[in-house]
Amino acid sequence: MHELSIAQNVLDIVSEQCARSGYTRIDSVNLQIGRASGIMPDALIFAFNAIKTDSIARDALLNIEEVPVTGLCNDCSNSFIVQEEYILNCPVCNGSSFQITSGREMDIIDMEVS
Amino acid sequence: MKVKVVTKILEANERIARENRRLFDNAALYVINLMSGPGAGKTSILEKTLALNTGLRIGVIEGDIAGSADAERIEKHGAPVVQINTGGACHLDANMIYEVLQDLPLQDLDLLFIENVGNLVCPAEFKVGEDIKVMVLSIAEGHDKPLKYPLMFQESSALLLNKIDLAPYLDVDINKIKTDALSLNPKLKIFEVSCKTGEGLSAWTDWIKEKALSS
Repeated sequence: MHELSIAQNVLDIVSEQCARSGYTRIDSVNLQIGRASGIMPDALIFAFNAIKTDSIARDALLNIEEVPVTGLCNDCSNSFIVQEEYILNCPVCNGSSFQITSGREMDIIDMEVS
Repeated sequence: MKVKVVTKILEANERIARENRRLFDNAALYVINLMSGPGAGKTSILEKTLALNTGLRIGVIEGDIAGSADAERIEKHGAPVVQINTGGACHLDANMIYEVLQDLPLQDLDLLFIENVGNLVCPAEFKVGEDIKVMVLSIAEGHDKPLKYPLMFQESSALLLNKIDLAPYLDVDINKIKTDALSLNPKLKIFEVSCKTGEGLSAWTDWIKEKALSS
């Protein structure tokens, strides 16, 4: 729902890094977005494309790698991946004591510049 | 040429949230970020909390897309209050809070409530420098909410199940709400309350009093 403000943060961070390092053009930006982050990749790309027009990233492609929701069971020690955006039980032993090990990411990994 | 960035997208927000946190700590102030969907009863809960004479000196920041109706309701109870209008934004962020802190007598308060924009999704994602997040769900919203909106249930320390007086008139399965919410977040403290009848509210105020005074 707040993909526009997330897109603005992405644009600010990469523009600032380019200004510091003297790059003049961004060709692509690569993100990792967790499936439980509440961010819809399509909406984020749409928002980024709408705000990039007058910036150093005007020709940049936004690439999003979705990170699945994974957990580690405290009872049976198995690691697992779930299809949902949340974990209720360990799918291996049905235990309810677990740690969420990924799925909340919202990170800029790298970018292609020239 | 490929260049590493390796930055959290919300890092700017988290940096300001840490600054807010420092200001709150300096004032020995306990801060609760109060979240819910629209109409669940956040402002009513705050009004009842203020009326219950907890002995705590309580301040309130009201976040709404538009208008000052909520701040006016709080003002009637004599509590220091500031209204933020987000002008369309679906959540409060750390900078919006930072900008209004000078308008509150932080040193003279024990507890600050930040009433977030009514929205079950976005507010849970943005830290504002709070000690804990607390959410309100009115039972009329239905028992499917924890699994449809898991993040807020996972992030909250307490859940107020409001409008519990409506239970006889609804088909809602309150036990399912509680079971699913606790599966998502086993440490969640749940209070069943009614702002209409006053049921359950003293258990809630006892809990926040203990939290605020032991911080």
